[in-house]
Formats: sequence, C-alpha cells, structure tokens
Amino acid sequence: MSSVQRPDSFGRFGKFGGKYVPETLMHALEELENAFNSLAADEDFQELDGILRDYVGRESPLYFAERLTEHYKRPDGGPLIYLKREDLNHTGAHKINNAVAQALLAKRLGKNRIIAETGAGQHGVATATVCARFGLECVIYMGAQDMERQALNVFRMRLLGAEVRAVHSGAATLKDATSEAIRDWVTNVETTHYILGSVAGPHPYPMMVREFHAVIGKETRKQALEKWGGKPDVLVACVGGGSNAMGLFHEFVDDKDVRLIGVEAAGFGLDSGKHAATLTKGEVGVLHGAMSYLLQDEDGQIVEPHSISAGLDYPGVGPEHSFLKDLGRAEYHSITDEEALEAFKRLSRLEGIIPALETSHALAYLEKLCPSLPNGTKVVLNCSVCTVNRLECASMN
Amino acid sequence: MACCNVETIFGLGNIGRKLQVFPSHNYKASVISCVAVGPSQIPQVPWKLVFHEKERSLLSNEKYGIYGGKFVPETLISPLTKLDYEFNSALRDPLFQMELEVTLRDYVGRETPLYFAQRLTDYYKSINRGTGPDIYLKREDLNHGGAHKINNAIAQAMLAKRMGCKSVMAATGAGQHGVATAAACAKLSLECTIFMGSLDMERQPSNVLLMKHLGAKVKSVNGNFKDAVSEGIRNWVNDLETSYFLAGAAVGPHPCPTMVREFQSIIGKETRKQAMEKWGGKPDVLVACVGSGSNALGLFHEFIQDQDVRLIGVEAGGSGLDSGKHSATMARGEVGVYHGAMSYLLQDEEGQIIGPHSIGVGLEYPGVSPELSYLKDIGRAEFSSVTDEQALEAYKRLCRLEGIFPALESSHALAFLEKLCPTLKDGEKVVVNLSGRGDKDAAAVFNHTPKHE
Repeated sequence: MSSVQRPDSFGRFGKFGGKYVPETLMHALEELENAFNSLAADEDFQELDGILRDYVGRESPLYFAERLTEHYKRPDGGPLIYLKREDLNHTGAHKINNAVAQALLAKRLGKNRIIAETGAGQHGVATATVCARFGLECVIYMGAQDMERQALNVFRMRLLGAEVRAVHSGAATLKDATSEAIRDWVTNVETTHYILGSVAGPHPYPMMVREFHAVIGKETRKQALEKWGGKPDVLVACVGGGSNAMGLFHEFVDDKDVRLIGVEAAGFGLDSGKHAATLTKGEVGVLHGAMSYLLQDEDGQIVEPHSISAGLDYPGVGPEHSFLKDLGRAEYHSITDEEALEAFKRLSRLEGIIPALETSHALAYLEKLCPSLPNGTKVVLNCSVCTVNRLECASMN
Repeated sequence: MACCNVETIFGLGNIGRKLQVFPSHNYKASVISCVAVGPSQIPQVPWKLVFHEKERSLLSNEKYGIYGGKFVPETLISPLTKLDYEFNSALRDPLFQMELEVTLRDYVGRETPLYFAQRLTDYYKSINRGTGPDIYLKREDLNHGGAHKINNAIAQAMLAKRMGCKSVMAATGAGQHGVATAAACAKLSLECTIFMGSLDMERQPSNVLLMKHLGAKVKSVNGNFKDAVSEGIRNWVNDLETSYFLAGAAVGPHPCPTMVREFQSIIGKETRKQAMEKWGGKPDVLVACVGSGSNALGLFHEFIQDQDVRLIGVEAGGSGLDSGKHSATMARGEVGVYHGAMSYLLQDEEGQIIGPHSIGVGLEYPGVSPELSYLKDIGRAEFSSVTDEQALEAYKRLCRLEGIFPALESSHALAFLEKLCPTLKDGEKVVVNLSGRGDKDAAAVFNHTPKHE
C-alpha cells in the first residue's frame, strides 16, 4: 500500500481522480499544486498551526463516550467508543480546517478573490468566515432552492461580508451551484481562487483537501497513544463528498490492522431511488472534473440525490474513497433517514451532545457494528458537525 | 470532618473508587494536570502530591463586604449549609478535581484559546491615528454548548452526582444555562427539569427544543426569569433529599455565587497562563459583559489581587439609561435584597423590582452578583453600559472583521471597545471575554436589520 502513490503525479488514485477540466483551468490547477507543495516547507505553515490553535480551537478532544459505550455493552463486554470532537471547532464543523488553509494558500498565490459553492450553507459559512478573517473578497454560489430553505445561513454569509449568488439552472441545488462556480473560475482564474469544500473535484483538490483535514487523523493517533497506549481498531465517519472521513482515515490507511468504515446516506432506502449512497449504488463516471463513483441513470445523467441531511446530499464522492472501496481497504455502508434520526436522539440523551444529521449517520451504523465487535475494541467515530446552534433543529420535532 | 489536606485524605484511604496505575503523568503546582486513561479510570495519585492551597479568604465568608449573605426562609438554611460543605469538600478532593479537569478537556473542549484579533486591533488603530491596544478574545464561544455556562453546569452536575442526588432542577432566562444543564445531566444520567419563563420561551424557541432533545423536562412558568427561579426553588424545597438546584448565575444565597464564580474562574486561570506564554506578561485590561456577572467573575477573579490589571464590566443599556428600558444594575440600581442575597438591584421607590430589558436576553437580570457589587464599591472594578444599537453594531463588526459571530450578550463587551480604545496607550493588552457564540442571535439581528442592508 505504501508503495502506491496516492495520488500519483497525474492526480489519479488507481483509475479514479484525474483532471477532467477545460484547457483554461489546467494552468491554474498546476499553479495551485505547485503552491501547495512549496507551502509544506514554508513558515506560512507555522502560521497555519497558530491559526488552527487560536482561531479554530484545535486540537479537538478525543472524548470517551461512557454512556454510549454502556449502551452497546453485552454480557460478554463490548467495544469502547470514542468521539473525535470536530464539532467543537470554530463554526461547529470540520469544514473550517480546509477553508482556513486554502485561504492562506490563496493569499500566497496573490489571489484576493475567493469563490465557493455550498449546498445547505455549511461550507459557504466556513468559506465566508475565513474570508472575513483574512480580508478576502468572497462570492458564494448557492442553488436558488437551497437559498430559500436556508435563508438564515444566507443572512449569516452576508453578515460575514460575502456575496451570495443564486443559481437557477438545473435543479437549483448543490451540483448546479458547483457547475456555476467552476464556470466563474474558468472566467476569473487570474484573480480568483476556488475553495472546493470536499475531497472531490479535479487534482490537486482531492489531495489538498485531504491533507488539510489530515490533522484530524494525526491528532487521533497521538491521543489514542496517550489514552490507551495503542491505535484505534475501527474508524467510522459519515461520507457525503468524503472530506471528514478522509481527514480521519488518511493517517491510518497504511495501518492494515485499523478498519476504515464510511457511512453514506440511504435516504428513504436504497431501493426507493431517493438516497445518496454513491458507493453502494453508483457507477463510475466523471463529475466536476474527477473520475469517481456517481449516481447516474442509464443515459449518464446525474440522479438527484436525497438525504434528510443536507451535507450528505451529493451525487458523487471523492475519488480516493472510490479507490479505497475497490481496493477493499475501506468498507462503505449506508443508513436511512429514520435510522439517522434515531441515532441523533440517542447521542443527545446519552451524552448531552447534539450531533448534526450528517454525523448521526455514522452514529447510526454503530447499531449494526457494535454487536459484532469483541470486548475492548477501540472505536473512534468522527463527530464532524454539531447542531447546538443550528436552527434546523426546529424541523426535527 | 473538617476540610483536610491531601495527604490526610490518602492516609485515610477513604476514596471508595477503583484505582488503576497509569504510567506517566505530570503535575503542576496548583493545577493537577493528567492524561485520562479512558473509561472511568482515574489515575492513581502518588502519595506525595503537590497541591498548593490558594488563599481563599472570601470562600468561608458568606459576604463580600455588606453584599451577599443568605436571606432565605428557615427551610433553606440547612440544605444551603450542606451544599456549602459538599462544595468545599469537592474542591479539596483531588479525585474530583482530576475528573473535572478531564471532563473540561475532553467534553467541554478546554482550554479555550486566547485569540489575537488582528483585524479588530488594526481597525481601532486605523481610526485612532495608528495607535491602539492589542485586542485578544478569550474564546468561551468554542466551548461545548457555545458559551461559558457549561463550565459551571458540568461541575455542579458532577457535584450533584457526588452528593448522591438523582435529579437536577434549574431555572433559565435566555436558555443557555438550561441547555448547558440539560447536556450535563444527559452525560451524567441525572434527571433534569428546567424552569423557564413563558415570555422567554417565546423568544428562544430553539433553546427550548434543544433542552428537550437533551432529555430534559421543560416547565413553563408565567412570566420571565425571576418567576422561573422562584418556581424552581419552590420545587426544590419539596424534594431536598434527592434533588439538586443548579444555579447558573453568580447570584442567590451563599454558597451559590461563590460556587458559580469558582467554577467559572478557570477562564481567568487559563488567561493568566496564556498571556504569559504569548507576551510574557499580564493583561492590562479585562472586559466582560455583565448580566448577573458569571462570565465576568470567571475572567476577573484570578486577577483581583493584581492591582495593575483593570477590570471593566459592561452592562446592558437597552434603549438607553434614561429610557427606563435597560438592565444596567450598577448604573441605576440601589442596594437591596433579591433572590436571597444583598446586592445592587433595579428597583423603584417602593422597592418593587423593575423588569429589565436588553437585546441580549442573557443580560436581562434586575440584580447582579454580590461580589461584583462589592468590587464596584471598593473601586476595584469599573462598570459601564452600552445600548442595544451599539451591541448590534459590535456584533456585525466582529463578523465582518474576524469571521466570528459573538453572542449579543458578549457583543456588549465588544461594543465598549469603541469608547475604550482611544483612551489606551499603544500596545496595551486588552482581553475581552467572548462569553458565547452568536449563531443563535442571527435571527434577532436579521429582524433588527433594515431590509435594504
């Protein structure tokens, strides 16, 4: 595994990934890749550490969920469940890790204009947040449908100084906003950096976004060693585009004894046709610049995904996840809306932590996973987003 | 059993918990810092433990000057005394302290950063001929629950468990304390009942929903916070054996103000350490918003003996001090007894409580902490106020300049920087307590914003 470059110099993970973009973007992508590579060696990255610590609030704790563990205990014992508290980050999700680093990268490239796409608004708010912090101009593309459903998030982005542009084409949701953002980038590539929110898109994005989130896994390794003198046995994370999962997994991909489990959204059920379980029901194709699994019909048209959680509502998935699935290195399962809601209530009542619906999918999978785990197995679950202040709570009565 | 030192406790072997040996740990002088072993395993403390007892002269007093005390019916004297004893015993119990520290670290997410607000600092410098203070924000908004309230709620919930209580009651105004208490009770599997004024419930429906998700019973009380407190206490009195009343504000009869302050003082302790790390000194000015005073005391308390550190509390000026619609107790209040303690208080000529008003719902309290009242009288702390409008401006300003949504309560402290910064020398170090995050207030700000903006 370690002899295989992930990705290789063409940005491929096996046959997945790559750079399926118009000619106009090739130079910008190359420039981006070079800047990223030189950044690692640079003092700017010390600046990133300081920002992650003082602005984002890292490191996030590895929290032993005592009551949740108790819940899964059998007469012969059960696994020990730890939550990686990405929900405690500034803005309440893991998204900020990547946004902050990419903003620094943009400044380095001398680009003062930032664009991004957003579905429910989480990535949009994270992007607008870092633009305010770094004094960068910010334009967020959002589907008109999504804007109506998330008026408060739109207001928040505006308060942060961002311009929110409505996208009316197609179904007026995330994938259309992404296409529009890519179009803007093609036009304004000289002055503009595109902060992609997940490990999807053309190379070098999947690699970069993964690297910026990899701090999650790095901290986890260190904290696991401190807490029980070993490694985690199982890692569980929800998968929409796949950024929080890659962030947790990446550090451990070469540790064969660590199981990697990604949980997607099964919506109303895998057979209902209304879900977002790309790795279970998708087929290989190209979307937004990368080859990966995606939900498409026989004509190769993108199928509109559904999930009760907006953040998992993406018809594609990061190419690296597609690669890990085919290789058998990682397993991917899915959870329905109902099961996710159950898990939401469970964590709230047992630990006083109100997870977002995205994370609830990972939590719901514990119901199926834990009965089969031997006593004392260490499970680390990425608690990627919180709901404590998100008003979508109101809809879940 | 008098309060005894650490060695005696271990000599008696009276701990009653399963201990396991943990290979490596380090201890600092006054803070026991350890790394958790994981599932409920408290590391074994070596017999020789350096535990520095800080000067606690105010603790055993019931009063701060003339303020404080226990103005309560006879039925409550005994439970309050018991609570005082249990509280002091827990403070001196290294196991409790260690468990609390682990919980604060892994559950609450401490320590919170001391964040240098570069753009905010530059802004004030730019409007003041290029000079101005360095502004740091103590990020209590990053705590679990989004505010400083959890520091106190989780510690008291642990205390309740230690005392063998099965259920917890609390009263909440804006809902932040209610949410923090509900979360702590869920984690510690304690039954939880939150009393909330019907008027407040209408203004903060999302907080009510959160409490319910966390498994708490929310009881509506006609009126607002003060009525919720009264009802809460009434219920507590009926079940003193197994229930615990969790105070969220640094007010009420002794030992409540002291307990709340003590558990919030982690804020100031961390700040001292972080200031030393960052600039090798102390802060010059501390600024915090004041409702009852819990977050302010949490920041200030550590520095009360440091005369060269200025302490500034900022109250809610509402629609203006002369409008009669505000919550500026220090500015316009008079000394009286309220909710069991003597303190400054907003009252009319007949001694009737004046209903406070502020856009920062958590600041709406007609009384204030007795300890702060005392600090005001001896001139150790200064108090000022800002209006709703000024707070809203400050809210928007921090969003735009630093990408942080401050709670409207905390925005009052930030608003005071407008008056403060021009008076400070270049490079003076100001620490503002960012006591909560303000996503919850986006709707309120939205409603106050003219539509063309």
